[in-house]
Amino acid sequence: MGRVLGFRMVHQDYKEMIPARALSALDAADARALNDHLSDCEECRTELQEWEATAAAMAVSATPMEPSPKVRERILDEIRNESKSEVIPFRSATRNIWTSFGSLGAIAAVILVTALIVGLIVLWRQNDATNRALAQAREFMELATTPGAKVMRLDGVDLGAGATANLAYDKNGRAMLMADKLPSVPEGKAYQLWFIVGKNPPMPGKTFTPDETGKGMLRDQMPATAIDSAVFAITMEPVGGSDAPTSPIYLRSSAIN
Amino acid sequence: MKAIAARDEAALAQLYDRYRVILFGLLMRILGNREEAEDVLQEVFLQVWRKADDFDETRGRPFTWLVTLGRSRGIDRLRTLASRERVAEAGAREASEEISDAASDAFLSEQRGLVNNALAQLPDEQKGPLMLAYFDGLTQSEIATRLGAPLGTVKTRMRTGLIRLREMLASHGESFGF
Repeated sequence: MGRVLGFRMVHQDYKEMIPARALSALDAADARALNDHLSDCEECRTELQEWEATAAAMAVSATPMEPSPKVRERILDEIRNESKSEVIPFRSATRNIWTSFGSLGAIAAVILVTALIVGLIVLWRQNDATNRALAQAREFMELATTPGAKVMRLDGVDLGAGATANLAYDKNGRAMLMADKLPSVPEGKAYQLWFIVGKNPPMPGKTFTPDETGKGMLRDQMPATAIDSAVFAITMEPVGGSDAPTSPIYLRSSAIN
Repeated sequence: MKAIAARDEAALAQLYDRYRVILFGLLMRILGNREEAEDVLQEVFLQVWRKADDFDETRGRPFTWLVTLGRSRGIDRLRTLASRERVAEAGAREASEEISDAASDAFLSEQRGLVNNALAQLPDEQKGPLMLAYFDGLTQSEIATRLGAPLGTVKTRMRTGLIRLREMLASHGESFGF
């Protein structure tokens, strides 16, 4: 049960915070306390959905406006490009790429290499594929296709909604994270990776800050105990990192619910 | 949404055509800049394409999911721009008289009428915090500072305002909702 300003909070206290949560207007401490409660309270989760529907109605009070037709074209072009490169198996959660690679044989190898090249060309053509980004993508691929390597996908939740990340790591715990569409961080703050094994306290990883397009990259060494059975989370912490998380989770791997 | 999750491009295009003017209007209201609003609009629909699997129809309407996502991305962009001091003061935001043809769409006009009428009936002391939270992305503490009001008062007024808004919309029964 959470505490805010020294008071023990009860179910009714949390219920009263829900309308403000639907407007995402809670201050950080309140948001953290309510998030903890929501993870355990189905009634409050249902109520939050109802309040979110009311909050969403406010959107139609804005004057409807017509975007440029080019936006529609750009969206459809982009999803077609993505469809071409979707055979890159980064999206599967815990798949051992090397095992799959070997079992599929030469055809899969050709597809994978072709997809990688297409992906790299797409990146390059999108004008944000600097040499550094290409080098990072190549490094990530090399790590992900190391024998015994795994790739985990992390998805944004709550404050991090919309963000995504892929974490590749080999059997020795050498890890590389590539994240996209991260919310910007205020001055003095950074994102921090966490390794969570069972019900033990999260083990801190390194910190990183995203660039102005929301992309971020991190190389880290996983704790030995995390290599076989960890789930992963990202929070926003002071630049130097924290020993224990101090913010809500921004991204998490699917194994955490 | 199921069709989008099944990678049906036409379904995404249909969703875009249905909601683009509402979402773009919302993003223009938040960001006040056409270029930024169009960029975020594109991001939102790309995210819908990538995350349609996450939509659970038992837990809400597509409209709510889409608007919540769009507003969240709009507020994120607003904060990013504000941190770079690239956003002009609210009064200097890009004015635009361009209103979508869809504004004349009878259904949308009716929905707007219901919501605007309900908001107009709220006392300013309740409506103000709601608008600052929804369109400016301010937290309760930031709103209290902005309005020079005690934090507890802002919390009460925001909650009361949203409760009244819900009651007024509910009083229209099934007539409100996309």
